[in-house]
Amino acid sequence: MRGSSSDGAPEPELGLSLSAVGAYSVISVTGEIDMYTAPKLREAVRQLAAEGRMLVAIDLTPTEFCDSTGLGVLIGARRRLTDAGGALVVVCSNPRISKLLDLTGLDKVLDVREAVPSE
Amino acid sequence: MNASKHEHRAEPVTVRFAFTPAAAYVRAARLVAADVASHAGVVTGLLDEVRQAVGEACTRAVLRHRDSQIDDLVRIEFSIGDRFVAKITDNARDMRARSEGRRAPVAHGGDARPNDHDALEEDTLSEEITLIVLGGLVEDLVVTGPDSENGTTVSMSWPLPGGPQSADH
Repeated sequence: MRGSSSDGAPEPELGLSLSAVGAYSVISVTGEIDMYTAPKLREAVRQLAAEGRMLVAIDLTPTEFCDSTGLGVLIGARRRLTDAGGALVVVCSNPRISKLLDLTGLDKVLDVREAVPSE
Repeated sequence: MNASKHEHRAEPVTVRFAFTPAAAYVRAARLVAADVASHAGVVTGLLDEVRQAVGEACTRAVLRHRDSQIDDLVRIEFSIGDRFVAKITDNARDMRARSEGRRAPVAHGGDARPNDHDALEEDTLSEEITLIVLGGLVEDLVVTGPDSENGTTVSMSWPLPGGPQSADH
């Protein structure tokens, strides 16, 4: 975790939990993804890739808030994983974030699904 | 007070603050935005939009200051008159030559330090995405600047109960 507080800054309001569903490593994201917390998500994807786990699902269903920095991380993660022969699935049945993906056209670029592929 | 055109209400209100351009404070800014909007009477269904939009504009401002390597404060002003108006002002002046030099790596892979490359690329992407999000999200959006002396101001407004319905900003 990033620290609180010698400078009075709050703890990042982001929680990541890892699990596996079928061939996918799943990062479930709670809290808020913004320019302060997004590096933590970026690092989690980078870590999985470094371990050779190239099929990754990022589950945004429980995510409270996501801004454009979070979208940038999704784009970067997709590029990194597909360049290495893997894939990124974005799981989202959260209307607020679905709207954001729709507004930016990223619902057409990213592989957005309602659930992690189980096969 | 910058609310002379808001003659509808007896006492136009302004809330103004500024923050050091660091990622840690963007959350505070967007939460204040939602709170002030709520107090102003913006309907509940629009508060998420206000929070998202002000957060995006502040993120963009922080990225612009970072890009220009300046640590001037990002300025925010909310005014409550006929509409709820939010203005986010950065101080990153137009330095086109530098900016283009900085952006080139996005298209070409670039020469950033390897560990920072992804972050730099995503930052630049994010700055572009902020405007796409704002454009899609906010009906009344005006972005002015930058020029050689001033940075940019993102102005946005939302209706208030009892105010005019059209965006006359």
